[in-house]
Amino acid sequence: MTGGRRRILVVEDDPETASQLVESLATSGYHADLAVNGGDALSRGRSTDYAVMTIDRMLPDIDGIDIIRHLRNDGIVTPALIISALGEIDDRVRGLRAGGDDYLVKPFAFAELLARVEALARRSATVVKETVLRVGDLELDLVSRTANRSGREIELLPREYRLLEYLVRNEGHVVSRAMLLQHVWDLHFDPTTNVIDVYVGRLRRKIDTQQRYPLIHTVRGVGYYVRASC
Amino acid sequence: MLLAKTLRSSTLKLALACIGIFGAVVFALFGYVYWSTVSHIRGRADHAVAAEYSVLQDAFDAAGRRGLVAAIEQRIAEQRLVGGYYLLAEPSFARVAGNLDVWPSGLDGPRGWEDVSVQERKAEAAARVLLRARFDTLPDGYHLLVGTDIGDVSQFAGKIEAALAGGILLLLVLAAVATAAVTRRTVGRIEAINATSRAIMHDGLGRRIPVRGTRDEWDQLAENLNLMLARIEALMGEVKQVTDNVAHDLRTPLARIRGRLEKALGKPEAPHDQALISDVIADLDAVLRIFSSLTRISQIEARDRTAAFRTVNLVEIASEVVELFDAAAEDKGSHLAVAGDGDVPVTGDRDLLFDALSNLVDNAITHGPKGTQIVVEVAQSDSGPVVTVADNGPGIPPHEVQNVLKRFYRLERSRSTPGNGLGLSLVAAIARLHGAVIEMVDNAPGLKIRLAFRRSPASRLQGASV
Repeated sequence: MTGGRRRILVVEDDPETASQLVESLATSGYHADLAVNGGDALSRGRSTDYAVMTIDRMLPDIDGIDIIRHLRNDGIVTPALIISALGEIDDRVRGLRAGGDDYLVKPFAFAELLARVEALARRSATVVKETVLRVGDLELDLVSRTANRSGREIELLPREYRLLEYLVRNEGHVVSRAMLLQHVWDLHFDPTTNVIDVYVGRLRRKIDTQQRYPLIHTVRGVGYYVRASC
Repeated sequence: MLLAKTLRSSTLKLALACIGIFGAVVFALFGYVYWSTVSHIRGRADHAVAAEYSVLQDAFDAAGRRGLVAAIEQRIAEQRLVGGYYLLAEPSFARVAGNLDVWPSGLDGPRGWEDVSVQERKAEAAARVLLRARFDTLPDGYHLLVGTDIGDVSQFAGKIEAALAGGILLLLVLAAVATAAVTRRTVGRIEAINATSRAIMHDGLGRRIPVRGTRDEWDQLAENLNLMLARIEALMGEVKQVTDNVAHDLRTPLARIRGRLEKALGKPEAPHDQALISDVIADLDAVLRIFSSLTRISQIEARDRTAAFRTVNLVEIASEVVELFDAAAEDKGSHLAVAGDGDVPVTGDRDLLFDALSNLVDNAITHGPKGTQIVVEVAQSDSGPVVTVADNGPGIPPHEVQNVLKRFYRLERSRSTPGNGLGLSLVAAIARLHGAVIEMVDNAPGLKIRLAFRRSPASRLQGASV
């Protein structure tokens, strides 16, 4: 969590959910503004430069998707996380097509929401073209798609490489299992099994066994993050 | 197709039976008319011949043979009996008097009645006449024959026979036409009902039987069935609505509880409580997963089939699933492999198909013992693409095969393994959405689950042109 308190626009009409959202975003170092209807959301979205906005699909006066569409038409590119009780893939596709950047289904874990908001906030901050990613003594060569720790090459399957790259790109930030499945496997459903954990476990054995310090860390019940020290 | 159905149709059998009975009745009726008419005409002929004979007998009794000959000549001249024929012959059957030349052959015995064909006197060789004749031997040994032409009777009989044959032929033709029409119509209407029933089993309760507006009994049947379907659909909808609401309404408070627990987890006062809270969150997540699986299944079931479907490669999906579960299988000491290469396209939703295959592979890994061999095979069969997940694990007892597709159903021995009994229901729902047939067979040992897809429209087109 770099920099000062970044501003987030929360568009949510249910008071209970809204207060939980604002509160948990605040404890994570964000300043959250609340808009309880579409008109409010549009005027705030146009006037203030937010890092991220979270938008509920079902508002009393307007579909959340239309808010995004209006803002995008006005040239506002603030990353948008669509939150919806409508879980189906068709809705997700519609939401993303309208200019949403990510999609989260109710009910969600706040840790999941935070992880996604963080990812969107980072995306808006910097897009740097690099050929080598480094975390501690781990190096990822983005051109040859190889990985090494302290110069010793680690053999990875293509998917394991993509998984590691995604974790490293989000260095220091928690990514959830659903985010991994979405970005590494391009799958948009919540696996009901621990298959992702097992997969990460195998990657971890390849990366962290017999090293001076571990790189892949687990946040129980949420997901994983990569950091050079404990 | 329709012809085969028509031939098997019960309506056709009924119609054929009707034709048989009706034909028999017509046959009997004609037969009776024939018999009564012919016997009536013969009766009259017999009567006339008997009267004529007794006149001649009287003449013989009164004036002997000479009187008899005179009476015969007179009666022929006066044409007392129209179409009458007379012959008096010597004991050696040589002609004495009458309008016949030869005593007809085929008359048995000294006297009696007989139908006999004779040669007309002074006529061309071919002109033969059919007679109803009485013949007798007189006391002086001479033979007397009196007969009347019954050619018109046999002509009449021939006409009746022709009419009978024509009538039956006409009956058969008309009946065949009527049967074909009725059977076609009946089979057509029943086929419409059958097609709708199949469509309902396949696509869901949204379909209705077409009503033709003729207000006949078929329309009434269709209307009643449609009303019944509407009622079932409404009830199903209500039940589904209730389940969905329960799932949805419980999810909201559970999600709040989860949020509060997460907040509590952030406060590092008592380490023991922290572990407890983590466990509660994990349990809560399991409950939330059940709810999302349930709502997901009903969403898939309620979904419009065509929306968001694209052409996807089953081989690719199967390979990705195997790759994803490779680590999990390795952990369990099982061996997971994929078979089949190239391109096996289906029209479908990648996420859902991935989810379905994931569930099948996950089941095989979770429920199989250490060292289980699991093979995911993708092949293009004649009827369409087929995905098979085969293992040599414990399998499913044959009587349980249908049960395991039900929601929340779990085999007795699986109670201790993780899972919620929704995985195969989800697979079944996804299969149904894709028009695929799910089949479980004994792999001896183990279980083999087949997902048989229908040919995609494109490949069906290719198949048709070959």
